[in-house]
Parts: sequence; structure tokens; C-alpha cells
Amino acid sequence: MDAALLEQMLLGALLALSVYLPLRCGQLSLATPGFYAVGGYVAALLSTGVAAFAGSGATSPLWALLAEMVLGGILAGLIALAIGGPVLRLRGIYLAIATIALVEILRVLNLNLPFTGGAMGIFGIPQPFAHPGGYVLFTLALLALACWLCQRLEALRLGRAMAAIRDDELAAASLGIDTPRTKLLAFVASAVLAGVTGALAAHFLNAWNARVGSFDASITTLAFVVFGGSRFWLGPVLGGLALTALPELLRPVGDLRLILFGSVILLGPLFFPQGLVTAERLRGLGALLGRGRHRGRQAPQAP
Amino acid sequence: MDLLQILVNGLSVGTVYGLFALGYTLVFSVLGVINFAHGAVFTLGAYFTYLLIGGAVGANGLLAGFQLPVALPFWGALPLAGLGAALVALLVERVAFRPLRRRRADPLLALITSLGAGVILVNLIQLLVGAESYAIPTSVLGGLPASFPLLGARVRTVQALLLGIALLLLALLSLWLEGSRNGKGLQAVAEDPETAQLLGIDSTAMVRLAFGLSGFLAGVAGGLVGLSVSIAGPYFGIGYGLKGLAVLVLGGLGSVPGAVLGGLIVGLAEAFVPADWSGYKDAVSYGFLFLVLLLRPQGLLGRPLPTKV
Repeated sequence: MDAALLEQMLLGALLALSVYLPLRCGQLSLATPGFYAVGGYVAALLSTGVAAFAGSGATSPLWALLAEMVLGGILAGLIALAIGGPVLRLRGIYLAIATIALVEILRVLNLNLPFTGGAMGIFGIPQPFAHPGGYVLFTLALLALACWLCQRLEALRLGRAMAAIRDDELAAASLGIDTPRTKLLAFVASAVLAGVTGALAAHFLNAWNARVGSFDASITTLAFVVFGGSRFWLGPVLGGLALTALPELLRPVGDLRLILFGSVILLGPLFFPQGLVTAERLRGLGALLGRGRHRGRQAPQAP
Repeated sequence: MDLLQILVNGLSVGTVYGLFALGYTLVFSVLGVINFAHGAVFTLGAYFTYLLIGGAVGANGLLAGFQLPVALPFWGALPLAGLGAALVALLVERVAFRPLRRRRADPLLALITSLGAGVILVNLIQLLVGAESYAIPTSVLGGLPASFPLLGARVRTVQALLLGIALLLLALLSLWLEGSRNGKGLQAVAEDPETAQLLGIDSTAMVRLAFGLSGFLAGVAGGLVGLSVSIAGPYFGIGYGLKGLAVLVLGGLGSVPGAVLGGLIVGLAEAFVPADWSGYKDAVSYGFLFLVLLLRPQGLLGRPLPTKV
């Protein structure tokens, strides 16, 4: 497997975690690709427009990449914070449609704003790593950090509050959980993660345009989570890795590639309605590895 | 541009959005889910119409050079294309919706399965007839002139036809829903599937009916749009599909008059976007959608959202 495909898979896993976070407290948000696009534009504009960010050597400086990721994450987070209050009052399909609309509005803005390069977008984004392998190591570290934070969340009051909202929002509110604040926090965290991922992806892809944040991307990222399972962070990570690899692995079948991909998305939920990683399978795996201490306490609840 | 011309443009586009959103609404009202394959069925309707009027397939795709032995007039081709699209919609229901219902799975999973069905359909079209654009020549309308004067403005005949046929279909559908036994059955299932079943209404048959009708409406809308602006390739239904979603929420999920009203509002609003800002035209419907969701989440004509306790 080549490093470029591996890098795409890791980015897919990060985006899947971004969809998983709001879903963790029962909010179906499809806004991830919109925030991903925003983060990417921040990195693309800074590194092609500001001399210090582009650097003078063969590769652009690593601090610039980190700064762009932070700024991309902050901008995406601020957008989420601004619209989250009113949008998160919506439930289920209404929230999903509102977030689709947000992605479309951001896409039209990215296509038409005077500084985003129109339909061509921004290209010639400088490379902080000389080899794709550098990206892979860096992204692997980022993914590990994100997974560790998600795992920590399970043990914190915040994580429990999110799970309670997912199971029954009214009951959670009656137990004194600040449901609007918790939901907003999950939404903003999801946006920050998508923005950070976008800033990294813009360098890796070398070019960035409005097509990266489209409705198709919304559904693909949702498919990652549905596929892997939305109860535990491992599910979206596996779903993101597998479903990003699938179209590339299917390349030899040529024209039938997307038809097969569509069939997988169609059949997956029919045969695995809870996704690949479920509570039972996780417990089975834990017992297999002789790590019974997780049993009953940390494993997510079956519905 | 003349005000009247803008109005006709807006209304004719708006009624197509309305027809499109109506298909979503029919399925949503009985199942409570959105059929993301709807845009692909719409696209198929356009291609069916093109083939039925005797159009030949281009040089790409497996069916390169294929042409039906008969060439129907547009009036015959359009309803047949609608029927073809209805059959495909029934197939989508069979593979992407029914298995989930039988397993009592989370209805939101239907978003994914129906999108999978849509991806398959769109790529099948590409495989069979290629990605090039196809135009339905306006000569299929027979001796009708390309445009005619109306109150001092010139109106394209195609747009007037679009408006006329769409309004006719909307009127027929409303009459059928209110006046016929099956129409009332459909409404009963939309209200409460279990009670309807207890009262002797076959809710599975009603779900199938909703999908068939929604496919027919999508197919006809596809044929009309193909005639009006040509078929831009296998993906051209997706843009309409997303806008139809906005129209649907604008009017109120599950409300038939709401879908029509929402379509007209979005169509007119887009037509009034000045030419200098035309790049932002596609954002108008989503802007409206956002406003409505924040101010009146049940939509313009929808009933208040129930709260579960």
C-alpha cells in the first residue's frame, strides 16, 4: 500500500471522528465537510499568500503547518459556535437538513468569494514534508491524539452526559445535565477537528477548491460512521479507514468501481444495522485479550 | 430583463422544484425518511424521455449508438418516462427501504441505503450512456413556436409548458389525495401506520403507492427539465435533489401544498437574483431554509412539531 493512500485513509478516519462526536450525543450533523473546507482554505490562503508561512527552503516550516491547523480549527469552531445555538434546537432529520444547507452555503461562498480562487480554487500549496511518509507519521500522531481524547471522554462527566443525552434528552435534562451546552460543545469539537484536518489535507493534496466540501462528502463521511458503528470511537475510525481505501482498492474494476461502492453503502446498513463495532463484539474482543476490566464499566451500552 | 419574463422564469423553475419536492413529501409522509435516490430517479426520467422521442446514445458508454426503433411524440414519451421512473422508484423501495423496515432498524439508516441506491443508478447511467450532455430538441413540440408574446414580453413556449404541465399534475394529485379511496388511505398511513393497518388499510401497499407516485412525478419533472435546459450528464439531478430538500423543509415536511408553495418561493427568489450576483443564486434556497428552520421549524404550512415525552 502506498503512503498517499494510507494518508487519505488516516484523514478519512479523522473526519469520521468529527461526525462521531455530535452523534455521540444523538445529534446527526452532516456539517463536517463544510468545516473541513474552511480549515483547508485557511491553510491554503496563509501558506500561498504569506511569505513567512511558505518558508524559504525546499519544504515549508512545520510551525507554519501547526499554526494553520490551529487557526483553521479556531475559525471552524467559531462558525460552529455562532450557528450552533439556534441550529442545535433542531432534532433528527431537521438538524441533518440544516447542516446540509450549511455545507451548501459554505460551498457557494467558497466558489464566489473574491479571495478563494473561484472554481479553480487555490493550488501550489507548499509542502511541509518532502515525502508522503512524513504526512503519514504526522497524521497518525494526530489520529492517536484524537482517539485518546475520545477514549478519555468516556470516563469524564462530559462523556457520560453526552451518552445520557443520546439515550433520552428529556431525561438527561431532568437529571440536571445542561443539554444545550453539552450539545454545543460536541458540535464545536466536531467543527474544530474537521477544520484542523482540512488544514492538514490542503497541504497534502497541494490544491484546494470548493468541491472538497460538498453534499457527496457529507454522505461519505456519514457512511464512515454508519459503517463502523457510532457507539464507540473505534467504529468510525475503522469505517473511515476502510471506506476511504475501498474506492481505491476497487480501481482495477474500472467503470464498475462506483457502482460497487454504491452497493456496499446500500448493503452495509442492511446486514450490519449497528455498524461493525458493536458493544457485544467489543466485549468479545476484550475477553479474548483477557482485559476483563473494561467489561460492564467502559463498554458502550447496547440500545 | 422584463418583470413579466422574470416572473415566468421563476414560476416555471419553481413548479419543477415543487414537483420534485412533492415526490420527497409523499415518501416522507408515509415513512418519515428522506429518499436520497430521488434525484437519480429524476435524472433517469430525463434520459428515458430522451430515448423515447428517438434520441440516439452518444459515442461513449456501453450503449454507444443505441436508438429505440420507435420515436414517440413528446406527449407520449413524457408519461411513459414517468412510468419507467416509477418502476425504478419501486425497485429502490424494494432494495433500500423494505429490508430496513422489516428489521425495524433505525429509520435514519435509510438515508445511507437510499443514497447507495442513488450512487448505483447514477453510475449505471454513466456506464451505459456516457457522461456527455444530451439535448431534447424543441422541435419535438411539433409546430409550436419557440416563444410567444404575452403582455408585451416574450415568453419561451417551453417554460409556459413546464408551468402548465406541473400545475396540472399538482392539481390532479391534490384532487386524488382528497377524493379517492387510495388517496385517503395514503393520508391515513401518513397519519398513523399502525392504526391505519388496524382499520384494514394495507400500509405496505400504500408505501409502494407513495414510491410509485413519487417516481412518476420525478420522472416527468426530469423530462420537462431535460426539454427546457438539456440533460447536463448523469449527475444533473443531484443539484435539484438538494434544492428539493430545501423546498421540502421550507414548505413543511409532509405538507403537499407546502411543497408547492416552497418551490414557487425558491424559484421566484432565484429568478430575482441580479445577474451580477448570479454565482450566489444557488445559496438563496439554503438561506431561506436556514431562516425557516430557525423561525418556524415546522415549515410555512407544516403542523407544529410534536415533542416526545
